[in-house]
Amino acid sequence: MAKAFIAGRRGITGILEGAERDLLRKLFADIITMLEPETPAHEDPLAALIGLDMDATVPTDPALLRLLPDAVRNDAGAALEFRQLTERSLRENKIGALRAASLDLDHDKVVLDADRARLWSMALNDVRLVLAERLEIRDEQDADRVHLVQDWGEADDVESYLSLVYNFVSWLQESLVQAMLVGLKSRK
Amino acid sequence: MSVSTAPETDQAPSSHELISADVPWELIVWNDPVNLMSYVSYVFQSYFGYSEAKASKLMMQVHQEGKSAVASGAKEKMEAHVVAMHGFGLWATVQKGGGRG
Repeated sequence: MAKAFIAGRRGITGILEGAERDLLRKLFADIITMLEPETPAHEDPLAALIGLDMDATVPTDPALLRLLPDAVRNDAGAALEFRQLTERSLRENKIGALRAASLDLDHDKVVLDADRARLWSMALNDVRLVLAERLEIRDEQDADRVHLVQDWGEADDVESYLSLVYNFVSWLQESLVQAMLVGLKSRK
Repeated sequence: MSVSTAPETDQAPSSHELISADVPWELIVWNDPVNLMSYVSYVFQSYFGYSEAKASKLMMQVHQEGKSAVASGAKEKMEAHVVAMHGFGLWATVQKGGGRG
């Protein structure tokens, strides 16, 4: 079993088993695939350079929409315009965090400095957002329902398997964030 | 704090210095059942540089009231913040201030 992340003098340290690292690697890769933009052949290189994407549209996959939400409420035009200006770089930043976290999965022992821990917390959070959408977690009751699934012996369908994965990633993120908060406190 | 990535200070007046014609914009963070309370508090502390007490108060407001205006000021600045919040996976929007929602 994984050991919770702890804050120490050399940074934040956690221990992950091989199967857990394989699972995380797969989850990170899945989200990277979701986020990779299709690059049109006719793309204006200057527009690409500054992150403009006039072809950006509101994602139809609700999980992707949760990763790339509208920045303006009740004004679809303004929200789309903002999306065209910012979505590409948001996708790239998220992919960067997911790739960074993947690279740290080569060894049982994961040691993170403050900056790397931030990237890890973002990557784990994006995994949880996508799993939550697949599990249809819409309110606190839904979250409680999923949280009750704790026995890997009961993982006999997709929903209970996803629930167990969600609970594992939630536990891991919580332990990481607690260690990060200790780090913030000690810096003051 | 070293992890703060807040944008550089610019020439825009802070909200209390604004002349009456200028309505400051607000950054709203919305509640959702997925983001951990600890993580939301971490984001408010590390990104905005808020104290633990202030971050915790805003986090509880999001949790209990469904949303909170966590920053206000120039439009461009709030737009930079909303992109950062989406980077962290928080559910945030920008709006013209004064509307209380």
